[in-house]
Amino acid sequence: MNTTASIPTFRDRLIRWRYRWLNARQFTNLLAHGYVWLGMLVFVLPFLALLNYSLQKGDGFSLSNFRYVFGSFLDNLLTSFKVSSLAIVINFLIAMPAAYAIVRFDFPGKKLLLTILTLSLYVPAAVLGIGLVFTYNFVVRLGYSIWSVVFAMVVGTYPLMLMPIIVALKDLPGVYEEAALCLGATRLYTFFRVVLPLIGPGISAGVLLTFVIVFNEYLVTLFVAPPGITTAPLRVFNLVRTAGIQNTTAALAVTMQLVSFIAVLIFLRAFGSRYLRGTYLF
Amino acid sequence: MSERALTPGIPWLWRFGLIPEEYEPKQVILAAGLVTPAVIITVLFLFLPLFFVVLLSFTEKDSFFGQPVFTLANYSDILGRYFVNLMTTIQLAAEAAIVDLLFGFPFAYFLVKRVRYRDVVRAAMIFPMFGALYLAFGMRFLLLPGGPLTPLFQLLGLQGVQILYGHPSVVFAMSIFTFPFMVMNIGTALSNIDPALEEAATCLGAHPWQTFRYILLPLSRSGILAGLLMCFGWNLGAFVEPLILGTLKEQRVLAWTLYQRGVVQFDYGLSAAMGVVLLALAFSVTYFSLRYSRGALAA
Repeated sequence: MNTTASIPTFRDRLIRWRYRWLNARQFTNLLAHGYVWLGMLVFVLPFLALLNYSLQKGDGFSLSNFRYVFGSFLDNLLTSFKVSSLAIVINFLIAMPAAYAIVRFDFPGKKLLLTILTLSLYVPAAVLGIGLVFTYNFVVRLGYSIWSVVFAMVVGTYPLMLMPIIVALKDLPGVYEEAALCLGATRLYTFFRVVLPLIGPGISAGVLLTFVIVFNEYLVTLFVAPPGITTAPLRVFNLVRTAGIQNTTAALAVTMQLVSFIAVLIFLRAFGSRYLRGTYLF
Repeated sequence: MSERALTPGIPWLWRFGLIPEEYEPKQVILAAGLVTPAVIITVLFLFLPLFFVVLLSFTEKDSFFGQPVFTLANYSDILGRYFVNLMTTIQLAAEAAIVDLLFGFPFAYFLVKRVRYRDVVRAAMIFPMFGALYLAFGMRFLLLPGGPLTPLFQLLGLQGVQILYGHPSVVFAMSIFTFPFMVMNIGTALSNIDPALEEAATCLGAHPWQTFRYILLPLSRSGILAGLLMCFGWNLGAFVEPLILGTLKEQRVLAWTLYQRGVVQFDYGLSAAMGVVLLALAFSVTYFSLRYSRGALAA
């Protein structure tokens, strides 16, 4: 048995050195993390570029471009908020009963109904837009009111309210409702006092998705918006098309993205990503 | 049929065989009531518009508003004069989907297997989904001659104007927009693969490339297909990227032409026919993508 250690050759030392400092595993790990970070940079880069540009004024940096956001763009922002909140309310009012019926009741044609109700997610926005233009001209005359925009948004986004609520209701065992009913509560009372609080996260996921999508929607709006009603994304679109690249437009775009991003972050802090799974954002 | 027929309420639904026997009558009626508002909205604002799109696609120009003249000329126009537009749409979407796959597979793999800060990555991935508008706007500023990326391009020996207003930048913007869909689909497929399989392959002496070729690729095939189809389907409706970043050649995409012909030039027939073509393409693509992603709601 030879126990004497031979003197390491230069090659041995090189291998050992390499193994200590940068073995193959570590090297691929480094590449992998670098790749992921590069991808993240690419995702955020357009936003960062706009942020940088919106802060430029002459040679220095200043916040003065954002004065326009709360000046001449304030009208558009308010319109956007109004459309979003109306769409959220209507989405909830039509999606909640439908989701409850789909999960809790047994009726024929359920699968077909679900397909019909989620179909609008797969219609290209431009097609929906031109179709709504025809419809508003022939049948549903909403005039020059904000409702023409609101209903266009509702039909595009209520599946996004429906799905998280369905997930939340499926997660909720039926025993709570049965207990409430056995103890003498009416169905309506049970719904408001037992079901509604327990599916809160699902509802807020729907609210978040509706808000993020409607708040940033420009394409369907471009088709259906009556004269005089311009949402903020539509204003951005028009300005980019006609006036090219301007600091103030960038400031508006940055504001829109920041508001949406903060809404998403607040939601993730509060509820996690469970209810967003399989939807637009996750 | 015994007890059911005696149920008070509306027995005629059952009498005519409209509702199968195994359902509880009270539940069916309640459910119908609860579902009604959603169905009304869908019919009024989705089916009616789509019906009008199909109907107007068979009429000449804006004749539907006065005396409708029915014709098939719009479709022959699409197959003739506007065939280039259709092909441009399909080409751009397909290219973007392939770019997504090439960059998305490694990304999804690293995300699932190596990365522990997944939430940070997800947060960053949200930004493109706020809309292609901000994305295209930001990229236009980035690619502008004299913009922030100019030194990088000079290093690579490229002229600024060539990059902005060009085919690659449009494809790149479209692929960034749909990248999260690809990562989502492939990531789900990859995370469903038992890690023991990969370890076993390595233990048996497989090269990483062989592991990828014979283990990962076949097992994530459904995810890859679903991702490809979904990215393709989403990019069929691309509107703002070709408009802001592309030349006239890229601006031939159907969605933009549809807007031009329909809303600006009042050629409703042609624009509706383009809508029908887009719709048919999008629906068939979505159908297959949902089949491959095994019914998961993945919009």
